[in-house]
Amino acid sequence: MLHAKVIDIKEKKLTLSEAEKFISSSDFGASIYFTGTVRNQNNNKNVIGITYDSHDKLVLKSFKEIYNEADEKLKIKDKSVFIEHAKGYLNLEEISIIIAVACKHRDQAYVLSRYIIEEIKKKTPIWKKEHYADNQSEWLKGSPLVNEKI
Amino acid sequence: MKIKVELFGSSRDFSDKDHLELEVEDKALMRDLRNEIIKYLDKNFKGNINFIKIVKSSVFCSENNNIVSDNYKITKNEKIAIIPPIGGG
Repeated sequence: MLHAKVIDIKEKKLTLSEAEKFISSSDFGASIYFTGTVRNQNNNKNVIGITYDSHDKLVLKSFKEIYNEADEKLKIKDKSVFIEHAKGYLNLEEISIIIAVACKHRDQAYVLSRYIIEEIKKKTPIWKKEHYADNQSEWLKGSPLVNEKI
Repeated sequence: MKIKVELFGSSRDFSDKDHLELEVEDKALMRDLRNEIIKYLDKNFKGNINFIKIVKSSVFCSENNNIVSDNYKITKNEKIAIIPPIGGG
């Protein structure tokens, strides 16, 4: 079971309660909640906020691919996964991403949660523009996406 | 033919709009569009090296949401997205 969404922060904030509602089930004995939040320092600069940009359709496609790959690579068939990523301007401490997973056992839940965030970092077209205390701002360098099709 | 290139991430600095409109020849390949973007940057941003680096390290997304290679044939009036190096989370 997968819930995947890009949330425009102007419309609503990301909340753990929705994730909890989605993954909660007596089928599963282990749940992990991962959140990414905006921190106040990066590369020795004082960060005051981050603007997230997203290619929404490709983002959702990559979330589904990552979920399906977990079936093949990790052999975790029974699972519930909730992924939401914010787009727009976020202040310090606000949540940019929630990954909530529920599995039968804790080993699977830890592995799956880590797998999903690492794959998102590699495959999901989301960009960050940091805003600094000195009124400057900068798109972060990022990693090139690899060509997949001809 | 005229191609609309949607801008994302660092490529948003290429224009005040959220896209570029560029002219390429019929039957152009994606590599031709990449070159047209570089020409546009030469003309409008005096060949800004950082911008050109972004274009060279980007991939492109077709209208049906597939990441495509430089050999991809662009169809008439297709909307293409430029995907600069990523880094969410």
